[in-house]
Amino acid sequence: MDRRARILVTAVVVGALVAPVVLDADGFPLSTYPMYSSTRDVEVTVATARAVDADGTISTLSLGVIGDSDDPLVVAGELRAAIRDGRATERCSSIAERAARWDRLPGGPAVIEVVTERHDVVVQVEGGDSLVERIVHARCEVPV
Amino acid sequence: MTSVDGGVRPPAVPLWRVVDVTAPPERLAMLRILTGAFSLVYLIVRLPVFVQLTERESGFDGVGLTALLSGPVPDVVILATIALTLGAGVAYTVGWQFRRLGPVFALGFLALGSYRGSWGQLLHFENLVVLHVIVVALSPAADRWSLDARVRHRAPRDTTAYGWPVALAALVVVITYVITGVAKLRYGGLDWIVGDTLRNHVAYSAARLDLLGGDSSPVAGWAVRASWAWTPAAALTVAVELAAPVALLGGRIRTVWVAAVWLLHLGIAATMFIVFPFPLFLVAFAPFYRVERLWTDRPRWLRRGVQAR
Repeated sequence: MDRRARILVTAVVVGALVAPVVLDADGFPLSTYPMYSSTRDVEVTVATARAVDADGTISTLSLGVIGDSDDPLVVAGELRAAIRDGRATERCSSIAERAARWDRLPGGPAVIEVVTERHDVVVQVEGGDSLVERIVHARCEVPV
Repeated sequence: MTSVDGGVRPPAVPLWRVVDVTAPPERLAMLRILTGAFSLVYLIVRLPVFVQLTERESGFDGVGLTALLSGPVPDVVILATIALTLGAGVAYTVGWQFRRLGPVFALGFLALGSYRGSWGQLLHFENLVVLHVIVVALSPAADRWSLDARVRHRAPRDTTAYGWPVALAALVVVITYVITGVAKLRYGGLDWIVGDTLRNHVAYSAARLDLLGGDSSPVAGWAVRASWAWTPAAALTVAVELAAPVALLGGRIRTVWVAAVWLLHLGIAATMFIVFPFPLFLVAFAPFYRVERLWTDRPRWLRRGVQAR
């Protein structure tokens, strides 16, 4: 490849890398790399799911049960997208199915709740009572 | 001066003169081996994540290559793509049928990464490695240290044919880090540096893991309490990212920058449990160095061992 062609290809590569920034459009593999780039308040809303038994006792589920993945970014992101797109009930059912096969779920009838919770994350990390608000988007029974 | 195969070593041209950079074919070959081996291990370790994609039915929002799709593809297509990509990845790494299978590997990795990111959460762990694989796959990276070269020894090309792809991969790294620095100033502004944003991000990562039933970093609580450290850490983070072009100058300043970025990723992994394996295993920074020396300057005991075989 002669020098002129190398210059042209290099310019195309640079243009392709910079284009998402100019267009403000994140993608793959060309990205604006927006992760953790916004300012973040101390109060944060997190989408999650939990099990509630007949006595009202709450059990934390696992990443695998909630999102069928070991990656918290994937689990949280997909659950947030499901709630946003009105698929919380559908998501609740798939979580309940996985919870039914989960050996750490306490015995007895239980329901799954898909929720968004607002926490003071600094208080949460320090072990304090951090919950500010909870919204339940869907409830469904764990199949026996 | 002579190169590893007895030929004339090309003159040293700094990386910032991207299109004029020269290199021995072994440098590009080593970049192929490093990116190939890393990608294969990565794909194998992450295999369950890619296989689980067959169970996804709703929430598809195509990105990258899969933006061309209107919905999820049949399971057999996903499994075939995984198998084909792994097979082509082996061929890429050992340099077998590289002109055909190198691009197949790059395309497969791009397709898998795109499809995995098409379910509501775009991650950024794979961007840089996929870009490097694309650059290497479209270059003459199997002219040396490959099965192809064993079968057919081709006449040496102009040394820029080997140096330019290496420099292009280095340029991709530099631009990527500059963009991450720009993103913080663009989306967060100066508040990202002088406010509590970085501390809150660390606390958020730990809290999110707790709420989702994962294990958060044991040092997150300690780090969050060290309030004095966060503004300097945030300023340093942005400064290091925006300073990426100095890596193209070579020499000590390049190594200082690479060390700073590596420490940055180490800090992120330690406090947030967010691991960017490509830079953490240093493969992302290979284009900045004469990486062929990993083999040509190998320890004497390894040299003896190879000769004995």
